[in-house]
Amino acid sequence: MEEVEGILVAAHELKAPLAVLRQLAFALPEMDGLGEHVRSEMVSVSERAIKQVNDLAKMRRLEDGLFEMEPVAIREVCDAVHRELDYLYKYNRRNLAMDYRNKSRLVVANRELLYSVIYNFALNAMHYSNDGTEAELAVRDCRGRVRVSVRDYGPMLPVDVWREMKRGCIEKPTSVAMRPGSSGLGLFIASRFARYMGAAVGAVRHRDGTSFYVELPVSEQASLFGI
Amino acid sequence: MIFIIDDDEIMAECVARACDGEEVMVFANAIEAMAKITDGVMPDLVLLDVLLDGPDGFTMLNEMVSYDDTARIPVVLITSLDLVGRDLSTYGVVGVLAKDKMRPGDVRKYVRRYVGVA
Repeated sequence: MEEVEGILVAAHELKAPLAVLRQLAFALPEMDGLGEHVRSEMVSVSERAIKQVNDLAKMRRLEDGLFEMEPVAIREVCDAVHRELDYLYKYNRRNLAMDYRNKSRLVVANRELLYSVIYNFALNAMHYSNDGTEAELAVRDCRGRVRVSVRDYGPMLPVDVWREMKRGCIEKPTSVAMRPGSSGLGLFIASRFARYMGAAVGAVRHRDGTSFYVELPVSEQASLFGI
Repeated sequence: MIFIIDDDEIMAECVARACDGEEVMVFANAIEAMAKITDGVMPDLVLLDVLLDGPDGFTMLNEMVSYDDTARIPVVLITSLDLVGRDLSTYGVVGVLAKDKMRPGDVRKYVRRYVGVA
């Protein structure tokens, strides 16, 4: 039953960008001089949809244990997410600020899954930030682990969802919005990926927004960065 | 004047483009749209998404039908929910368009029927 509901939520989330793409395709021939703007929107929306499909496919592969754990340079992953989302943030008149304070440079994770977790958090923060505002991606050491958190200045996370995250995992996406306009699919996926990696996800409620974080074990392997 | 209420900025832009050059106001949520009506701006037509940030489309419809003046404003739901074919006339809904199936001409049909005819 839960699986069926999850599929319905996923289908609904994917329908939205596809419907937008269809409307943009209709609009394209009518545009005079604004064709490039519409083309950019089509690329941005389709990339969002492809990312969602890829993450759902990865969820299926989790069951087969196909993702190997390895030492991962956490700042490199965060930089890669920042590079990929920078265009989308700027396009939406927002900014993603980076704040690195970690001494431990390597964490134990699967790079592909970790990238998806941080990407989902950062995309979520963009969605919930207002025009002209800044979301913050921070990396710091935290009780022998490394915490990557993404802070937005949007609506506060409902307390029941916060409790569920505090317990360690979002059990399923929900058709009732977790925050306005969201089914929580991205958060559900991030939560599953983190659990697979032995990492912990959580959220901090602020009066003016929410921080989502993932905490990862530090790798004992010596870092090439020298720390 | 047409009110477009949709929290998807790009979809709202597409719907606005289909409004045949009529004057439109775009709102990301129902609260802003209702506040504009309270300020005295009365639309000829409302194009309303159902799943919105904050109060949803049905909350807005309930609010609209509860007042004599706003109850007469025709509303077209533009939604990805499966509501096409449902009789929602008690909510003042004159039509339902499915986001994944509608064409710009479908929006224009309602614009021509309800805007500037008074």
